[in-house]
Amino acid sequence: MMRRALSLAAGVAGVALLLGGCAPSAPVNETAASSGDDVTLKVWSWRTEDIDAYNTIFDVFEKEHPGITVDFEAFQNTEYNQILTTGLAGSDGPDVPMVRAYGQLQPNIEAGQLDPIDDIVDGLDDIAPSVLAGAKGKADGKTYAVPLATQTLQMFYNKDIFKENGLEVPTTWDEFIALNDTLLEKGITPMALGVKDDWMMPIFADIVGSARYGGSAFEGEVLDGSKTFEDPDYVASLQIVADMKKYLTPDVVGVSYTDSQVQFTSGQAAQFPGGSFEIATFASQAPDLNIGSYQVPLPPDAVSPTPVSPAYADGNFAINSKSKNKEAAAELLNWLATPEFGQLVADDLNQFSAIPGVTYSNEVMQEAWDNYQKGEAPYLLLVDFRYGDPLGTAVLGPQIQKIFMGEQDAAGAATALQDGISQWFTPTP
Amino acid sequence: MTATTSRPVGKRLTLGSFLGSGFLWLYALIAIAPLVLMVLNSFRTMPEMAKSPLGLPLEPSLTSYQKAWITADFQTYFFNSIFVTVASVLLSTAVSLLAAYAFARTKSRIFTLLEGTFLSGLMLPVYLAILPLFFLLDSLGMVSNLWSLILVYAALGIPFSTFVLTGFFRQLPIELDEAAKLDGAGSFTTFLRVHLPLVRPAIATVIVFRFVPVWNDFFYPLILIRDQKAYTLPVGITRFFGEYQTDWATLFAGLTLATIPLVVLFLLATKQIVSGLTAGMSK
Amino acid sequence: MPVTKTRRSRHTGITLSRRAGMVFVLPALILFVIFILYPLVTALSYSLFDWTGIVRGDFSVLDNYVTIFTQLPYKDAIPNAFVHNILLFVGAMVFQNTIGLGLAVLLHRVRRFKRFFQTVYTLPYLVSPLVVGYLWSLMLSPLFGPVNAILKGVGLDALAQPWLGNPTTAIWVVVFVTAWQWVGFPVLLYGAALGGIPDEIDEAASLDGASSWQRFRDITGPLLLPAIGTVSVLTFIGAMEAFAIPYALGGSAGNPAGATDVLSLLFYRTAFESGSSNAIGTSSAIATLLFLFIFGVALLMTWLMRRAERRLY
Repeated sequence: MMRRALSLAAGVAGVALLLGGCAPSAPVNETAASSGDDVTLKVWSWRTEDIDAYNTIFDVFEKEHPGITVDFEAFQNTEYNQILTTGLAGSDGPDVPMVRAYGQLQPNIEAGQLDPIDDIVDGLDDIAPSVLAGAKGKADGKTYAVPLATQTLQMFYNKDIFKENGLEVPTTWDEFIALNDTLLEKGITPMALGVKDDWMMPIFADIVGSARYGGSAFEGEVLDGSKTFEDPDYVASLQIVADMKKYLTPDVVGVSYTDSQVQFTSGQAAQFPGGSFEIATFASQAPDLNIGSYQVPLPPDAVSPTPVSPAYADGNFAINSKSKNKEAAAELLNWLATPEFGQLVADDLNQFSAIPGVTYSNEVMQEAWDNYQKGEAPYLLLVDFRYGDPLGTAVLGPQIQKIFMGEQDAAGAATALQDGISQWFTPTP
Repeated sequence: MTATTSRPVGKRLTLGSFLGSGFLWLYALIAIAPLVLMVLNSFRTMPEMAKSPLGLPLEPSLTSYQKAWITADFQTYFFNSIFVTVASVLLSTAVSLLAAYAFARTKSRIFTLLEGTFLSGLMLPVYLAILPLFFLLDSLGMVSNLWSLILVYAALGIPFSTFVLTGFFRQLPIELDEAAKLDGAGSFTTFLRVHLPLVRPAIATVIVFRFVPVWNDFFYPLILIRDQKAYTLPVGITRFFGEYQTDWATLFAGLTLATIPLVVLFLLATKQIVSGLTAGMSK
Repeated sequence: MPVTKTRRSRHTGITLSRRAGMVFVLPALILFVIFILYPLVTALSYSLFDWTGIVRGDFSVLDNYVTIFTQLPYKDAIPNAFVHNILLFVGAMVFQNTIGLGLAVLLHRVRRFKRFFQTVYTLPYLVSPLVVGYLWSLMLSPLFGPVNAILKGVGLDALAQPWLGNPTTAIWVVVFVTAWQWVGFPVLLYGAALGGIPDEIDEAASLDGASSWQRFRDITGPLLLPAIGTVSVLTFIGAMEAFAIPYALGGSAGNPAGATDVLSLLFYRTAFESGSSNAIGTSSAIATLLFLFIFGVALLMTWLMRRAERRLY
């Protein structure tokens, strides 16, 4: 509103604001929408770290779409769900909220808080089906949002540490083990991992173990009921997780996620198993850090024929069904589905866009993208097992923590996971 | 202060009193060390801290404070927090004074019931009621309005404040009222002119003990405030956590800035609080 | 918070008519009803319905209560979290309130630096619980935390721990940090209560040859009973409602592996982070039980306290 401070509309709004301050019952919001042709779209997100980048991106949109102003507001990630829950229920919510993907999106859809966009937005067909699945209603199969980004999970490494110690990116499991043993001998922590934060654990498990249990093939078998998480291959993949303990800091159970980031960026650990969302964080925290990424090689007896990068769709933009500016919101969503926006996502946000045809000028990103193209797999527990209570990720996370504490074994953790999701999950043959 | 006039009992320097004061100093160290560390680290830089967690700021740097104050928009949050806290504490103290006076000067079942209801408010996990509260304020069009926070905090302060104040009013001898009545004063005048000045220490206690939780609360503004210009300091800080989660120096600077006003308030008011509490306990 | 032992019979009388009294109570009553009573009762009624997101469905009687006692994750998480709440209460009574009482008694005999000590002990209480939790989780970090660095520096390597990552120590860290923040509260309250005990009583006993422990046990202690009662009830309520410090130390999931989980965190997770579309129904059921429990026990404690007092005086 301040940007158009000179216009009469803003003056009126300002008076309304003042009045609102004096008389508690007078509404303060929704003043901008009522004035003339100019529309202000409220966009909400949990990416506080990307506020500047988003403002730059939406400037491009505003220039191409005169009359629409985008008011971008970011809230802290950990509190975003509750803010969104009440925000979509109330009258002053966002026009275009960034919403979670897959199972976490369903409560919003079931409550009728979002509008289906199949007939409103062009270009959805170009998006990969596995990515678009994250934006669909489980019950009605309709699309409710434009996916923003794909996250892939890989092993990041510090190129300088590798070079100084004459180490190469491993291509076989034996090389991978030898690499970590060498680092250990030289007194360098091989991997930085925040075991204290449970949500990081299933991510780590899929980075080292997805190929062992068979990635996409296993996904199909679990969903149709021919296999369960107690399958020997899945248990073996958790055993790999347990075996990695010696390559982590001695007191790793007390290391938080942020500690592990600092450990890696300050050069105290050589590798960081994590998601592509780390690339931007690492770049801003430690601009001089020289990083690369690789897919963990095939472990012995792996079910998958090639190494894989687990991946999932992350972040969707939707239209609030209570929005008073649906036309403008549709205009924005259409723009968010264009390669132009996709390219801005790649360049300014350092994320892998969901839109095909985007190129990556950043070397680190290109490398991670190439890895992903060589072997894809779903980040299984997030993609398929967050449609009920308890969430698959919320069950496995603490179980893996217990493995690292020595209170649980791989088979026990797998059983607990199966018990937890059986609470709501029924296979569809 | 009462303490200076009352002579301590044990006057000789015994082993016991030596150990006693040793314990007092030791605990003082435990209480203050983490806070000192927070302040010291706010003057250091991130790489320094990652290399050695313990250390003095040999070359103190103020960049963290600049970052916190300017980029995080702390000044706006400060102003909002002061407005909300002062207004809500004053409002809740005012209505609680009136109610407490009534509880202390009436004898009727309905007032006992009301007093009990207010008191039970102390035991309610009130934040559990956030959803209906949000819908209520939303239907009144008050979301993102600082007055919604003020009213909610004022209401939340009533159980504690009436509990403390009622006790004080009950101690005031009934003869005071009778004398005032003979002079022809109405009940409100009696309350204002006779009783209010006498419960001043209690008012100080209530104000300070409500000021602290309201100033520090982040839960209600998180849900009720959507406009960044209306953020209070604690919400500003949670947002700040998101942006600077691995930039500890800046975080420490922000945390220090957020804590200073309360410390100043408390330093100014310790005497009042202690005498207020003592007066309340002693009768 | 002062504990008033009013001699009602002599001091209290009626000077306000019922109507005048109502006028005095009205402003507080209006605020209380609108912003506390109404939302709370509404929230409790939510537990009796089936929900789809924020849309209220059918009246489901006690289905939500059955769910939280028979289904995963609740049937495991509730007992686990409940035990931690009780541990927080016991821990606070044993450490925070005993240390607080000890400090208050010592302070009462001290002349110099009295105000300084009072202020220093109360400082942590002024800091936001979120900040306190954050500060301590950095202090206790096994990689960058000064606590382990100090232990190793003085040759106590064996004691250096992943404090917040070890399930046996993690909950005690929560107890300790809570005590660290709140100790000023009992110090101030007990200090005030001690200030209210006439010195003559103590001095007379001293002349009679009673040792200081005897004097504390037989005179000061019993006179402190009302204050101890109030502090205990408030500690109980605080421990059962604990949220900010466990949240800042172990996250909403009560890391590691539920070792720092408490009922408020479980409520929070259920309401805002679960995959269930009936989140409001289930979480309200948890909240209702928590409320009833706190309310019942607090009433019981108050009643016991009153009875003990009556027996003494």
